[in-house]
Amino acid sequence: MVKESKPRNLTALHSKSHMPENSFFFERAIPIFLVVLGLVMLGLILFAAGVLIGVVRF
Amino acid sequence: MSFNQFLPFVSTAIMLIFSIYVFQRYSVRHGRHFLFWGIGLSMFGLGSFAEAFLSITWNKWIFFIWYLFGAALNAGWIGHGTLYLLSRKKWVHVLTALLALGSVYAAYLMVQTMPRLDEAAFTTSRPISEQYGTKVLEAGQAAPAGALTAQETYRGAQVTVTRGVLPLGAAVRLTTPFFNIYGLLTLVGGALYSSFLFWRKRVLPNRVIGNVLIAAGALSIGFASTLTRLGNGQFLYLGELIAAILMFSGFMTAGRPQPEEVVSSAKVPAPAQ
Repeated sequence: MVKESKPRNLTALHSKSHMPENSFFFERAIPIFLVVLGLVMLGLILFAAGVLIGVVRF
Repeated sequence: MSFNQFLPFVSTAIMLIFSIYVFQRYSVRHGRHFLFWGIGLSMFGLGSFAEAFLSITWNKWIFFIWYLFGAALNAGWIGHGTLYLLSRKKWVHVLTALLALGSVYAAYLMVQTMPRLDEAAFTTSRPISEQYGTKVLEAGQAAPAGALTAQETYRGAQVTVTRGVLPLGAAVRLTTPFFNIYGLLTLVGGALYSSFLFWRKRVLPNRVIGNVLIAAGALSIGFASTLTRLGNGQFLYLGELIAAILMFSGFMTAGRPQPEEVVSSAKVPAPAQ
């Protein structure tokens, strides 16, 4: 029984600490989120830089 | 008090709990990143509180707190914590010294500005973020509804301005973009970078999601602040509340303990949790 339960526990640990395979969320949604958030960050940095050099007035 | 004015009080409460939680982590684990996050989050909380206070009544020292901690410094300090997490190289200490010196200098400039605040331009009917700065009106440009205007001499020319609490050309305002750009790069960039590393390795999905939430939270307040500067200040309090909720939930998600065996074998830098 002990020998059988150990691999099963390791599998459970592995599944919790690894991304689920063939997951739409991790395979598609997360990369899109990362790209979109990166672009928004870039836009806000450019805006702030524009304020700094006087191109954007507020 | 309107519903919108109530929101900063909720944000303040969330940030208070968040800050205490991070300082507790620092007292146990002593990571410098926890210290800087705790300081930055406390600044964020102070800024939210000051904003809530200024939606009810005026106090110039609360305005001091709002501008220095809420508008200028907090993003830089939180982001610097993320930098400490991602890199333990010596140049980070140099940046720490620069951040500290820059913060003291910004505080000095703010103190210098205090006697010149235009308290008469303040009203509780608009968010402080919409009315703190005196702005030059371009030829043909109409002043926003309810804004006070005045004639001033600026850089040798006679200009029409919409009056704000801070005087025209206040030097402290020039420091704010530096802190905010640095904060955006380190906090958002650091969270996205960490998330990407874990995603690429296909490990620790909680840290992938947690860092995306942190980045989204930080961007929501940046986005709301930008909208405010473009004349749409009604979204600011909501943006702050969303930021507080997303960043706190992201931090909790990323910090959730994971199975030891796998954590120890994951050869990726520590996350911006």
